[in-house]
Parts: sequence; structure tokens; C-alpha cells
Amino acid sequence: MSEHNALNLIAGYSEAFAAKLALEQSGSDFQEVRGEVASSVVQLHPKRLALQVAEIIEDTPSTKTLRLVAVDGQALPPFQAGQYINLFVEIDGVRTARPYAMSSSPVQRMHYDLTVKRVQGGFVSNYLLDRVSVGQRLSSSGPMGTFHHNPLFHGDDLVFLAGGSGSAPARSILLNILERELPQRFHMIYVNSHVDDVIYADELRELAAQHENFTLSEVISRPPAGYSGRSGRLSRAMLQELLGEVGDKMFYICGPTPFNDSCVALLGELGVARRRIRVEANGAPKTPHQQAGWPAGVNMDDEVTITVQGRGSFRSTVGEPLLNALERNGYFVENACRSGECSLCRVKLTSGEVFNPQEAHLRKSDRDFGWIYSCVAFPVGDIEVLL
Amino acid sequence: MKHYDAVVIGAGNAGLTAATALQRGGSRTLLVERHNIPGGCATSFVRGNFEFEVALHQLSGLGTEDKPFVMRKFFDKLGVMDKVEFIQEHALYRLVVPGELDVTLPASWSGIRRLLQEMYPAESEAIERFMLVCEKVTLESFMTLPQAARANSEAMLRSMCPYYVQYGFRPAREVLDEFFSDAKLKNILATYWLYLGVSPSMLPFADLATMLYAYAVFKPWHIKGGSQAMSTALVESFLEAGGEVRFNCGVETIHTEGGRVSGVSLEGGERVACDAVVSNASPLITFNELLDLDRPPLKIQQDFKSRRMGTSAFVIYLGLDCTPQELGVTTASSFIYETLDEEAIHARMGSLEAPLGGMLTCYNLEDPSAAPAGKSQVVLVCLQYGDVWKSVKPEDYAQTKYAFAEKLIALIEKVYPTVRQYIEEVEVATPLTMMRYLNTPGGAIYGFQQSAQDSALLRERLDAVPGLYMAGSWTSMGGFQPTYMAGESTARAVLKQIKVKEAANV
Repeated sequence: MSEHNALNLIAGYSEAFAAKLALEQSGSDFQEVRGEVASSVVQLHPKRLALQVAEIIEDTPSTKTLRLVAVDGQALPPFQAGQYINLFVEIDGVRTARPYAMSSSPVQRMHYDLTVKRVQGGFVSNYLLDRVSVGQRLSSSGPMGTFHHNPLFHGDDLVFLAGGSGSAPARSILLNILERELPQRFHMIYVNSHVDDVIYADELRELAAQHENFTLSEVISRPPAGYSGRSGRLSRAMLQELLGEVGDKMFYICGPTPFNDSCVALLGELGVARRRIRVEANGAPKTPHQQAGWPAGVNMDDEVTITVQGRGSFRSTVGEPLLNALERNGYFVENACRSGECSLCRVKLTSGEVFNPQEAHLRKSDRDFGWIYSCVAFPVGDIEVLL
Repeated sequence: MKHYDAVVIGAGNAGLTAATALQRGGSRTLLVERHNIPGGCATSFVRGNFEFEVALHQLSGLGTEDKPFVMRKFFDKLGVMDKVEFIQEHALYRLVVPGELDVTLPASWSGIRRLLQEMYPAESEAIERFMLVCEKVTLESFMTLPQAARANSEAMLRSMCPYYVQYGFRPAREVLDEFFSDAKLKNILATYWLYLGVSPSMLPFADLATMLYAYAVFKPWHIKGGSQAMSTALVESFLEAGGEVRFNCGVETIHTEGGRVSGVSLEGGERVACDAVVSNASPLITFNELLDLDRPPLKIQQDFKSRRMGTSAFVIYLGLDCTPQELGVTTASSFIYETLDEEAIHARMGSLEAPLGGMLTCYNLEDPSAAPAGKSQVVLVCLQYGDVWKSVKPEDYAQTKYAFAEKLIALIEKVYPTVRQYIEEVEVATPLTMMRYLNTPGGAIYGFQQSAQDSALLRERLDAVPGLYMAGSWTSMGGFQPTYMAGESTARAVLKQIKVKEAANV
């Protein structure tokens, strides 16, 4: 400022200037908080975690639990029971990732357990089950996701409908309630196809016997001859019998897509308001062509050309989600939920058309300006994208 | 190494308008954003069937189609006017202090005058004079003050800005006390202090006067699709002009050569060369962490020493399974106080105790497309300084967040008692969330504290490193209109500098 400052004429200006000078005397140049933003944020929301397989637990013939610890041996970021991490892998030269809910309790932070069930033809699940060994290093996102108990409106009367390995987040939620002695009641309705394939069976039965606030209802959909337990498909009558009054209960559903859809429908029939039902996301839809809005004359196995602006092009099929196709061809796109929710894999469609299924939770302006979530976008013709 | 005329760090409001103006002005520009989406504060996120507006509560400066104001021409120049749709709010705000006060100011200057004169007939003449002062101070600060300040001329200030000279930098509290005797009337007129997080005793009168007058005359607006629609439209305009954008890509270092900006290193290791860097990141992170100097130039250090960290915010985003009418909402914006004492409300912003003041914005009251049919998008806010969150251990974070959210909901329930029973979706953002997404110290949402000593009129530009320009709320006023404008004016300064350089090279 020059010696003569005409602004001193303004009422209050010289006082403000004097106040500024006084602050300058007592203030700091903020060097002492250098790096503080990054170090605060990384404790809760690291972009990547460096993990190592500490132990592999055989749960059932089809399922293993990978116990992951931090490479640096430190505690892992806290998470809310029910949340997931996105596990990055490189399989035969293809860099991809899959989200897995932690099945371990968030009360301890020295390891995350990821429970992996074999999926027929599953690229990543089969790799994790067959080729990953103790000591191997893996990288992941930080904990994410909204499929967890929210004390602001979920209440204390919780029902979890789990299908198969959908029990992974249920186990975490349950352990959190029991270990912290929270006031919640937890009723787990646990549906499996076969008696020999029930993950955490002994542990859950034992906990149910020990804790009054935990009820376990097992259902086997394909029971062996002479099976005496509850069996068959979940029906309205069976649910009604298990639940009694639906009241203010909060429902969590996690399992294969047909299981989830059927549970939502049954609960609706029982008079449960949709806002009392939380459904875990489940990856890209397997049958997008059966959804409303699928363009006529386009087949899932039609071939298309995908061009990445300024970088190259390759052939793919309509039915392969764009993100997978990009990864298979060596293009990396940031991603996490791979189910159309988190929006990290958002890319711009610069020409051509994709089908955005109901799983794509696009913003209005994404639709208006051609941004798509590549994890659930199906190219219905030749397209060009900007990464 | 790739070369750009300019690299813009951060796609917040100012980064977006700077990049768009630079590229449209003929400067080859790279825009880099560490997040996956443009906007910074001006963004949205989807939960279930709801798309939540993150930060825009009332956009100022547009005026109506019949009586347009600066921002219409501004957006038009940036090529986005035909890409977005604006929705007008018809009230400024409802202020409720349960048991004490419940008043709704219309978005009309004469309407406000009529209402207040009916409510406080004894102060009728003072209301008349006060409103005239607000009007004059606003117009002078937009029209004539910049010129008089540049000229450093007392004579010009006296003749062109007489009202500003008489009132401009005085604390709002002092001016209100001078005009009025009824305490509640002063509460009503000072309500917008809660947007800024600076109590009326610290707030320069001109800031309050400008907000009140400008919102009433040029109207408060929302954007269809939320502020995200504007952010995405700006990116579209930037790309149409040939700009290059990279998301999920932070900047690691700003390089200098011989004291002048020479390029940046990007996340992942790539280095690009450039003549100018426009930083939409905070100057603290820009100078103290990104710049390759051990210490920033003395002038910058000196400026930082007189700054104090500004406010952050605690926000609850609610998707409700009821209509605004069922909730009892009659104006898009409500302010709710526990007490008439604004200083007490302000003091509480530094703690995790129950907030004494908060606000509720219902976005689908005037724009039905802002929520699914039969439902409501409602956002609860109380401003809060980020410091109190520093001592919260990571393992206690979620619990602390929900416990404080309960307190804010309890405050809002005093006026909207059924808000909790309709919740379908909820997301809670704390100052740490702001820190995560805005990359600002303390999770500051408006930059440094906007008390009188923060004013740009007391300060010089942070231009000690040639080629490095700051754009954002840290070096101008916070909020949408000021940051949009700050980015564009920074771009003009850069373009001018590039032209000078080109002329010298010919």
C-alpha cells in the first residue's frame, strides 16, 4: 500500500487496517500446518491402501476368507460395518478390481477380512481363490459405501436378509453390535442353496445361542432328502412367520440380484415402506437387455468398436460393461463400487450411444452432457469416449 | 514435454470460469482436478432416487429476464447461458426463533420495506433510510468504488461513493444499532450473517448491505440439476473451445525457473510445461506445499500472517419421503435460531456442542424436478470451524458425526417437527468431509475468515511469483457469484500478460 491511502476516508477502514496489522504481529504463515489436510484426510479416506495377505481361511468348499493387513503393519482406516473396499488386482496382464465388503468386525483395525465365494466363470473371484497366496501384496481403495447402519434413522430393530456370500457385511454388522454392546436387535435371515455351503455357520449359530439380541433364521433352498430345517424359497408366508409385525424394522438385503429383487417385492407385499429397505449394490446387471429402454434390434453379443479419444480403439461386445472392456484392453479408469453408484469411473461419451441401465445412478447433468458411468454402461453401437 | 499456455489447478467455481475464459480467450489450457467430477463445492451426489445439491443455497447476481444483472451476461460470455436453466426463489428467507420471532422476507425490495414497516411502525422512517443506505452502498461498491480505489483519490471517493465512505467498513452491528432500537428488527435484517459465518460485530456493513439488497432486487436462484449442472456446463464450454481436462489427477508440484513459473508435475509423474498457472487451490497449499520454493516469498508470508482460518460447515443431506407441504415448508430457505443473541450463535460454531443456529433449504419447493414426485430434497446446515474436528480420533469419527447430526436435527425439529420420521436417504458432511473434497485447511468453505481485515481493499494481489495466479474464495469474497467472477477476472489478467509477452516476442 502506498503511503497515502485514500481509502482511509472510508468509515471503519483505518480500524480494519490496524486490526490487520495486529493480526500480522500475532499470526503465523501457516507453515506449521503444512501437509495437515492430506494427513488428516488419509486417516479416514486414503485413495489407496497397501495390503498384504496375512492368512487364508477356508470357510466352505466354495468360499475362502482373505485376511488382509497393512503392509506397514499399522492399523487400517476405520470403517462402518457393511462398507467395502475395492480390491485392485492384475490377472494375466489385465488390471481390474472388484469391491468386497469387509466381513470382519470394525472394532479391531489390524486386519480386514474379505470373504470370497466362487462364481462360475468369475475372473477375479477364481483368481483370489486359486492363485492368491499368503504374503502376496494387493492394493485397494479406502473403505466406502452407504450400506451400513445409520443411527439417524435406521432405529434399533434390524433385519438382514442375506443370500449366500451376502452374509459378509451381515457378519461385520453383527460383530459390531455384539462387541460394542449396542442396543440393537439383529435378526439375520440367511438363505443358502446347500447345507454344506453355509459361510460362518458354526460361529453364527453359537453367537445366536449366546446373545438374546441376535436371532438367526437359516433357510436352505435346495435341502437334501430328510432335511428338517426351514427350506424352500423365501415366501411371503415364511417371511411373515419369521418377522411377525414389521413395525419400524429396518431391512438390509444383500445377495444375488434375483434374491434381492424378490426380497424387496416380498417386503413390499408385507407393507414395509421402501424407505425402510436398504439393498446392497451388486455390480453391473447381467441382463441389461431385459430392462426397459433397451434399444430394439441390439443383441448382447453384437460386436462394437470402442475408440478412446486420442489413444486408440478396440473391438468389444454390447454385453460387456465398458469399464471391463477398457480394462481388458489396457486402459485404466479409476473405479470403486463397479455398480453404478460411486461415480468414480465417470467418463465422457463423445460419440455413439450406450445403454444406461437402472443401476446407473447418474446425475441429471451427466445425462445432459453425455457423461456415463463406465462400470455399468453398455455400448449399443460404435462409440468414442474421453478418459 | 507437453506445453500449455496455462494450467488451471482445480475445477472449483473459479478454476472452471478461469479455464473456460482462458481457452475461449485463445490460450491453450489444461484443467486438472484431483476429484472425479468438476465443481468443488458446486457439485452434487446421488443417493437412491435423490440427487443432492452440495452447496448452492441461493445464487445471486442474475436478476430476472426482464431486469437482468451482471451474471447473465457473465455466463453468456462463457458460453453456458443456453446450457443451464435457472429457477427463481420467491422469498429471501424465513427466520424463526421459536417463541420469539417468525418472519418471512419476500424477494422484493419494496415488499421487504412494506412488511417491516407494518411490523415495526415506530421505526418506519429508520427502515426507509436504512434501505436507502443498503441500496446506495451496494450500487457504489459495484459501480464506482473500484475506480475510485484504483485512482486512490479522496475526491473521487467523496463524490462517487458518499454512502460507502460513510458506512462501508463499519461493523454491521454498529450500523444496525445506529438505525434501530428494536432488537428483533435488527435480527431480521442481519440474518444473512449466518451464510457467511462472521458475526454481525465482525462483519463489514457493506457485505451485509450488498447481500440483502442484491438478493432482494436481483433475486435468489437455484440451478436446475443443481450447481453441478453449471460446473458440467462450464466443462462442456471449455471442451468445445478446445480445452483439455483431466479428472482424478492432482498436481504435485508447481515448478519455477529463475523465480518464474515453468510447469507442473501431475499425479502419476507426468510433467508439463506452461507459462502460467492459475491455482484454484487455497493459497496456503499452493505456496506452502505445491510451489517448489522452500519458503514462499516474504510478501506472501506476510499476507498469510494477517489471515485467520475461515469457517467450514456441517451439512445433513436429507431425502424425505414426504412433500414440502407435508413437512410444513413454505419458503425454500429457513434460518432457525435458538437465541436472539447472534454472538452466542457464532461462538458456538467453534464447538461440538448443540448448534444455536442453523438453516434448512428445501430444493424442490420451487423446482419440483429437484426430488422424485411426492418426496423432498432438504439440506440442513450449520457453519462450524474445522478445528474442533482435529482432535476427533479416526475411530470415533463416525460416532461423533452422527452425534452432532442429532443435535442439528433437534434444532431444526423445533420448527419442522416431523423431519426425522420421513427420512429415506441421509448423508452427513463434516468439516473433515469439506477438507477431503475441497482440499482446504480446516475444511474452509469460503477461504480465510471474511471479517473486515480480510477485504481485498486492504490487500495487494498475491502475485509475488511471476506466472502464478490465485483464483478462488481465498483471495476474494466467498460464495458462488464472487468465486465465479474471481476466476474470470484472473483469466483476464493472465490473457493480458500473455498478450504482453507475445507482443514482446514479435
